[in-house]
Amino acid sequence: MDLLDNLGLGLQTALQWQNILFCLIGVALGTAVGVLPGIGPTATVAMLLPITFSFDEPVSALIMLAGIYYGAQYGGSTTAILINLPGESSSAVTAIDGHQMARDGRAGHALAVAAIGSFVAGTIATLVLAVAAPPLARAALNFGPAEYFALVVLGLIASITLASGSTVKALAMIVLGILLGTVGQDIYTGTPRFTFGIRELYSGINFVSVAVGVFGVAEILRNLHDPQRRTKMVDKVTNLWPSREVLRSIVGPVARGTGLGSVLGVLPGGGHVLASYASYAVEKRTSKHPEEFGRGAIAGVAGPESANNAAAQTSFIPLLTLGIPAHPVMALMVGAFIIQGITPGPEVMTSEPELFWGLIASMWVGNLLLVLLNLPLIGLWVRMLTVPYSVLFPTIVTLACIGTYSLGQNAFHVLAIAFFGLLGFVLLRSGCEPAPLLLGFVLGPLLEENLRRALLISKGDPSVFLTRPISATLLALAALALLLAVLPTIRRKRETVFVEGE
Amino acid sequence: MASPQNEVDATARRGLRPRSDADLIAGLVFVAFGVAFGVASLGYTIGSLREMGSGYAPLLFALVLTGLGIGAIVKAYVSPDTHHPGELPPEDGSVGLGFERVHWRPIVFVVAALLFFALTVDGLGLLPATFGTSAIAAFAGKGMAPFRALLIAVGLTVGCYVVFVLLLQLRLPLLGEWLG
Amino acid sequence: MTTSGRKSRLLRLGAALTPLCFMAAACSGGGGDPADFPDDNIEVIVPFSAGGPTDTVTRMIAEPMAEELGVQVVVQNIEGAGGTVAAGEAAQADADGYTVLMHHIGMSTAPTLYPDLDFNPVEDFKTIGLVTEVPMTVIARKDLEPTTLEELTTYVTDNEDSVTLAHAGIGSASHLCGVLLQQAMGVEVQEVPYDGTGPAIADLVGGQVDFMCDQTTNTTTQITSGAVKGYAVTTTEPVESLPDLPTAAEAGLDELEVTVWHGLYVPSDTPDEVVEKLNSALQVALKDQGVIDQMGDLGTAPVAEDQATPDALTQKLESEIDAWSGVLSGITAE
Repeated sequence: MDLLDNLGLGLQTALQWQNILFCLIGVALGTAVGVLPGIGPTATVAMLLPITFSFDEPVSALIMLAGIYYGAQYGGSTTAILINLPGESSSAVTAIDGHQMARDGRAGHALAVAAIGSFVAGTIATLVLAVAAPPLARAALNFGPAEYFALVVLGLIASITLASGSTVKALAMIVLGILLGTVGQDIYTGTPRFTFGIRELYSGINFVSVAVGVFGVAEILRNLHDPQRRTKMVDKVTNLWPSREVLRSIVGPVARGTGLGSVLGVLPGGGHVLASYASYAVEKRTSKHPEEFGRGAIAGVAGPESANNAAAQTSFIPLLTLGIPAHPVMALMVGAFIIQGITPGPEVMTSEPELFWGLIASMWVGNLLLVLLNLPLIGLWVRMLTVPYSVLFPTIVTLACIGTYSLGQNAFHVLAIAFFGLLGFVLLRSGCEPAPLLLGFVLGPLLEENLRRALLISKGDPSVFLTRPISATLLALAALALLLAVLPTIRRKRETVFVEGE
Repeated sequence: MASPQNEVDATARRGLRPRSDADLIAGLVFVAFGVAFGVASLGYTIGSLREMGSGYAPLLFALVLTGLGIGAIVKAYVSPDTHHPGELPPEDGSVGLGFERVHWRPIVFVVAALLFFALTVDGLGLLPATFGTSAIAAFAGKGMAPFRALLIAVGLTVGCYVVFVLLLQLRLPLLGEWLG
Repeated sequence: MTTSGRKSRLLRLGAALTPLCFMAAACSGGGGDPADFPDDNIEVIVPFSAGGPTDTVTRMIAEPMAEELGVQVVVQNIEGAGGTVAAGEAAQADADGYTVLMHHIGMSTAPTLYPDLDFNPVEDFKTIGLVTEVPMTVIARKDLEPTTLEELTTYVTDNEDSVTLAHAGIGSASHLCGVLLQQAMGVEVQEVPYDGTGPAIADLVGGQVDFMCDQTTNTTTQITSGAVKGYAVTTTEPVESLPDLPTAAEAGLDELEVTVWHGLYVPSDTPDEVVEKLNSALQVALKDQGVIDQMGDLGTAPVAEDQATPDALTQKLESEIDAWSGVLSGITAE
C-alpha cells in the first residue's frame, strides 16, 4: 500500500541516527527556551531558527526545527502550569486549570497529563496528516472570510465558559480584549488606531506584554497579597505520577481534543488559535462536574493540550500541500525551507518525497522524544516550585523583562507589561478572569478583518453570513452557545430573587 | 476569610452603598475603557456596512463594552455575585475582593522594577538593568533584607548573562551608552 | 553568618563579576578606527520577520559577506510599521559600520505613507548598494476566464464593479503593485486587503477573491503547480523560473514595471572607508554561486555589478521616492 510505503520511507529518513539526534537536540532546546517566562513558541522558534541555517542536509534542519517547535510548545505549557504565565494564547487555557492543579499540589499530574495528551494527539494527528493532507487542504480552502468570521464568533461565545464567574463580566472581558486588539495600524486603510503617535504600537500591542501582565504580574501580586496561597502549593508537592484512574479519566478529553484540534488546525486563517479554547468549552459543557472547571479539572488540561498539539501538527497541512503558512511559526518554517533551497508548495510531496515523508515521520518521533524527555523531567520542574517565593518571583519578573525586550530590542513592550499587570490586578480583584480577555485580544483582529473582508466582497450585503451553509451553521451554533451560557444565569438570578423575596 | 455572603449583607444594610465593590469597580473600568475607545474611534472614518472605516468596529465594540460595564454597575447594586449552596466557594479570598486588603508594597515594587528595566535598559545596558530590576523586585516581598536582595540580584544578573548572552547568543548591549 | 563572612562572600561575588563587566565593555565597544574595520561582529537589521522574503535574502548574502569581512554578520529582525521602526532605529545607530540596515522598496514609499516619519531615507543614510530586484507577477484565481493579460484587462474593465483585487496590506509590495496595475488598466476596483501575503494567496487559491499582484518569492510555486493563473511578470526581462509568462510590456501594459528592490544602508555619518569595505563585501557576495542559485530558486537574481554600488542605490531611492509620492498621493497612513 502506498501509505505504508511512504510512511516507511519517512521513518527510514527520520530514524537515521543523526536525524534522531537533531530532533532530540531540537526538542530539548525548544523546551529549555520555551519554558522561560515571556518567551512563547513563536519567539523560541525565531530565536533558534538561525541554528538550522548552517545545516547542509535540509531534512535534518527541518526535523530539528520541528523538534524545536514541539519542545517550545511543551515548554510554554510548563510555564503556564507552574507559574501561571502563558507564552501564547493556547497555553492561556492550560493555565486556567493547570495552575490550579499545581496549587493543589498536583503539578506533576498536570504536567504528565499535558505530555501524554500531547503525545497521543500528536500521533493521531500525524496519521491524519499522512493519510488525508491534500483533500483536507482543499476542503480548508472553502473557508472564506464569511466562514472565518462565523468561526471566530463561535469561538468567542464559547470562551465565556473560560470564566467561572459572571457572564456579564466574562463578556465584557472578551470585548475589552477585542478593543485592545484593534490598537495598531488598520490593514484596510493604514490608519494607526489608538497609537498616540507611538510607533511601537503601529503593529499592535505585543501579545507577550498582555499575557505576562494580566497573567504573570497579576498572579505575582496576588501571591504577595496572600502568602498562604503559595505555602499550600509548596507543602503538597508530593504525588508526581497520575494514577491509572486519572489516566483513564482523560481518555475522553484527549480523544475529543485531538479530533477538534486536527480539524481546526487545517484552517490556515487562524483555526489553530481556537483549538484549545474550543476543546475547553466542549469539555466543560459535556462534563458531569462543570463546577470543577477553573478549580483544577484535569479534563481542562488534557483536552486543550491535546487539541493544541493536534492543531500544531495539522497546521503543517496548508504549508506542506499549498505552501501557505497558517501562523507565524509556519511562516518561519517557510523561511527555513527556502534557506534550505526548497520552496514549500504542492510539489514538495512529489519532488522531495524523502523530505516530505521524513518530516511527517519525524513529527511523530519528535512527539515521542518529547514525552520521553519530559516525563522524567517532571520531578525536576515540580521541584522548581519549592524554590522560596522570595527568590522565584524576582526571577520571573526579571526573566520576563529580558525575554520581552530581547525580541525586537524594544523597551516599550516592557513598559506595557507594567500597564497590563496593574490592569490585570484591578480586574482580578473585581472578579474578572483574564483568559477571556486574552482570547478576545487574539481573535479580535481576525473577527474585524474577516467581517470587513466578507462585506467588501459581498458589496455590503450581510446576508452572506447566512446564505453560505458553513457560515450559517457556525453562527447557529454560536447562538445556541450564547443561549446555553445565559440561560443558567437567568434561571439562577430568578432563584435568587425568589429566595430573597421570602 | 469572611464569607462573601456576610459581606454583602453588611454593606447592603448601609443604605445605597453598592452590594459588591468588585462588580462596581469592574463596571467602572469597563465603562472607562468603553468611553475612551468610543470617543477616540470617532476621530477615525466610520464608513458604512459595505466599506467599514477604521472607526466602525472599534466604535461598535466600545458601545458594547460601555453597555456591559453599565450592566456590571447595575448588577453591583441589584444582584451582585454571590455564592450559592452547592457551589464551591471561590478558591481563595483574592478574586473579587475589590480594594479591600490591598497591600501597596508589592504593587509599588513590582511595577517599579518593570519601569526601571523599561527605562534604563537602553541607556544602562542589559547587565545594570537586570541587576537593578531584580533588586527592586526582590523588595516587593515582605521583610526582604537588603543583603538577601543583593544576593538575589547578583545571582540573577549572572544567571541571565549566562542564559541569554552566553547560551542563547542574543545580541543585547551589555553596557549602555550612558556608561560610555 | 558573621559580618566578615558576608563581606568576604560579597567581595568574591564582586570579583567574579568584574571580568564579566570588562568582557561586556570590550564587546559593546567595537572598533573606533575606520582603518581597522571590521574588528567586531556586524549586525544587519532586517525590518521584517525572520523567514520572510527580505529576511531570506539578507541571510543568503550574510554568509559570503561574513567570509569576506572576516567577522560574523548577525541578522537582527526588528518588525513594525511597514519597516519604519527598524529604519528609525538604524538611523540613530552608531555610525561606525557595525549596524547595517537592509530594506526594500518600502524605504521609498515610507515618506509618502508615513508623513510623521522620524527619519529621512535620503539624508539619514549612506547607501551601500542594491542587492536584488525581486520581480512581481500578476496572478488570478484558477477558474477566472481570461488566459492572457490582455483578456484580463478587458475582463476587469468590463466587470469593474464586481471584481476584487487582493493585496497584503497598505504599503505592502503587493499593494504597491496592485495600485500600479489598476492605473495601467485604467480601472478602480474593489481592493481587499489582507494581513500579509500568506492569507491573501490562500484566499486567491480558494477562489474567494479574483486577482492580485505579488512577488515571485510567494507566487512561483502556486503558478507552476496550477493553483493560480499567472499572466505576466512586471520586469523588463522575462523571469527564468517562469518562462511561460510574458513581461507586462510584452502583454500590453507598458506602465506596469515594478520590482521589489532591496538595498543596504548605514547611518549617514559612517566614514566612506567603511562604506567601501562593506560595498566590496557585498560585491563579492553577489557573485557567490550559492547566492545566485538560492536567489534563482526564489525567481530572482543578484543585481548587476554596476547596480550594487552606493550611487546606483541612491539614484534608485531618490527616483522611487518621487515616483511613489505621485502614485500614492491620497493614500497615507494617517
